[in-house]
Amino acid sequence: MNRHRGSRAVTFALCAIWFVVTIFPFYWTFVTSFKPPTAVNGGPTYLPFIDFEPTVKAYVDAWSGSRGDFFTPFLNSTLIGISATVLAVLLGSMAAYALVRFQFRVRLLAGAAFAAIGIGGFLLFQELGLSRAQAMGVSFLLALPTSVLLNGLRLPGPVLGNNDVVFWFVSQRMFPPIVTAFALYLLYSELGKEGLKALDTYWGMTLCYTSFSLPIVVWLMRDFFQALPVEIEEAALVDDVPRLRIFFEIVLPMARPGLIATSMITLGFVWNEFLFALLLTTSNWQTLPIILSGQNSYRGDEWWAISVAAMVSITPMLVLAFFLARLMRSGLALGAIK
Amino acid sequence: MREPIKYVFIWPAFLVVLIVALFPLFYSLIVSFQSMRLVPPVPPRFVGLGNYADLLGQERFRSVVGTTSLIVFCSVTVQYVLGFAIALALHGKVAAERLFRVTFLLPMLMAPIAVAMVARMLFHSTVGPINEFFTLVGLPNLPFLTKASWALGAIITVEVWQWTPFVILMMLAGLQTLPSEVYEAADLENATPWQQFWGITFPMLLPISVAVIFIRVIESFKILDTVFVLTGGGPGISTETLTLFAYQEGFKKFNLGYTSALSFLFLIVIILFGVVYLAVLRPTLEKRS
Repeated sequence: MNRHRGSRAVTFALCAIWFVVTIFPFYWTFVTSFKPPTAVNGGPTYLPFIDFEPTVKAYVDAWSGSRGDFFTPFLNSTLIGISATVLAVLLGSMAAYALVRFQFRVRLLAGAAFAAIGIGGFLLFQELGLSRAQAMGVSFLLALPTSVLLNGLRLPGPVLGNNDVVFWFVSQRMFPPIVTAFALYLLYSELGKEGLKALDTYWGMTLCYTSFSLPIVVWLMRDFFQALPVEIEEAALVDDVPRLRIFFEIVLPMARPGLIATSMITLGFVWNEFLFALLLTTSNWQTLPIILSGQNSYRGDEWWAISVAAMVSITPMLVLAFFLARLMRSGLALGAIK
Repeated sequence: MREPIKYVFIWPAFLVVLIVALFPLFYSLIVSFQSMRLVPPVPPRFVGLGNYADLLGQERFRSVVGTTSLIVFCSVTVQYVLGFAIALALHGKVAAERLFRVTFLLPMLMAPIAVAMVARMLFHSTVGPINEFFTLVGLPNLPFLTKASWALGAIITVEVWQWTPFVILMMLAGLQTLPSEVYEAADLENATPWQQFWGITFPMLLPISVAVIFIRVIESFKILDTVFVLTGGGPGISTETLTLFAYQEGFKKFNLGYTSALSFLFLIVIILFGVVYLAVLRPTLEKRS
């Protein structure tokens, strides 16, 4: 049994080392945010009250806005984060529910027609003298009904089922974001030329984040809905309760743990997202990561102030992590990972 | 089964993704075949595969692909080995397991930008604690962020710090699904833990391992935030990644056709990788199941 105890010690040591590695950056940021400049520039200092005299000056500075406005981006991140999360979780759960309880058949040819009309129409209408955004809009409005109509016909070629639709949703997430972010930037700036301002607006950012959170929501919520018993819904159907009411009054409440976990994951994703915010905002609706990334060029490296900024971004996520961990422990979120 | 209500459920989400994620792609696909600049504004001109050929012939593009692949390969390998080891340790009911479980998840939820900012502070040559630690154990002061090889090392370290938790989480979930009877049988036959791992645990977790590595590779290829803050692609272009390169071309030089072509090449690289990866591993996976 001696060897057993030895291996126990080794595993504990491994965990302990990784624990220190994980925790140290957090500790360092936290401590540095209370340091006076002298305690930073003179080389590393570690322990408050022993190595240096802690001060809250950096926090006061951040609050008063003397180092650039923190409050607006914080508010922006919160607003955009919450609205995108609510929208994505609502629309995504509805889609996930439909994909669990109903059969969908999408003909590959109809999808191909959508792409062909979308691209061809865009090029054609531009030749005819429409502006880029107009050509895009018209070709979209043409492509969508045509492909839906085509889907109703008995066309040859493969037919895609529910799993393929789910895969289609999820595959949006596998794309390198620069591809979509850049395309979206082009679309938004074209819309701007038509007088519909989308760049650097609240609704533009919310729409963009909703769309890019949807794949994850559909994927996670589908697992949760699959785990729900179908009998209750069937009983309600016999009583002629409309589907929408069944969904909102029976199914959603039953899937609450899943909804909470999914919302938290989505919120975390939107809160931390950098690339889309970098491309699609310029001043009014900049989010926290953008402000954070600008900190190093702003008046040189004032590490105490950078630490405060980092703390502002990190703390809500720490709270979130705490709640997520509690959910996990009760085993409720495990279905999502499987 | 004809239930029209199902369309009410699926269309809103479907429409949003179509309009915001898919349709712009058509547009940028068209732009990738054009020569289009915003500054100075030049009317778009059709150049066929010109942008693509240009990029593929460029020394810088090849170096960027190399750098990105190197970062992805090194960081994912370390993440997987380390994450699997820690998951095994946690699964083996180590002391203070609860504390470890919660803490180990934290890095994953932090904004990569914030993490990179903190890393810059930690790796700093004079005020950073890491260099002081190295001096303490007798090593010279290391140029973490200003010398190419060290800067790559720093980026990989940050990636490993932030994303090993994902591997831990997934492998732990996988470990919990393993039946205990197999291990009891193995114990009866006096199989060593080492044999049990290679004979039972590893093969049974192969499907989830494949998925985890796949997700991590795809995600790592997108790396931007860390590099953006930590080194800005420097020194020179030695740590520039694909996304950063595309961003520089598009938003510093406003060369839109070029950037679109670049992002589609990127997409092709990812798809190629996915196809090859799954093709190589499918025989092993099918044999097991």
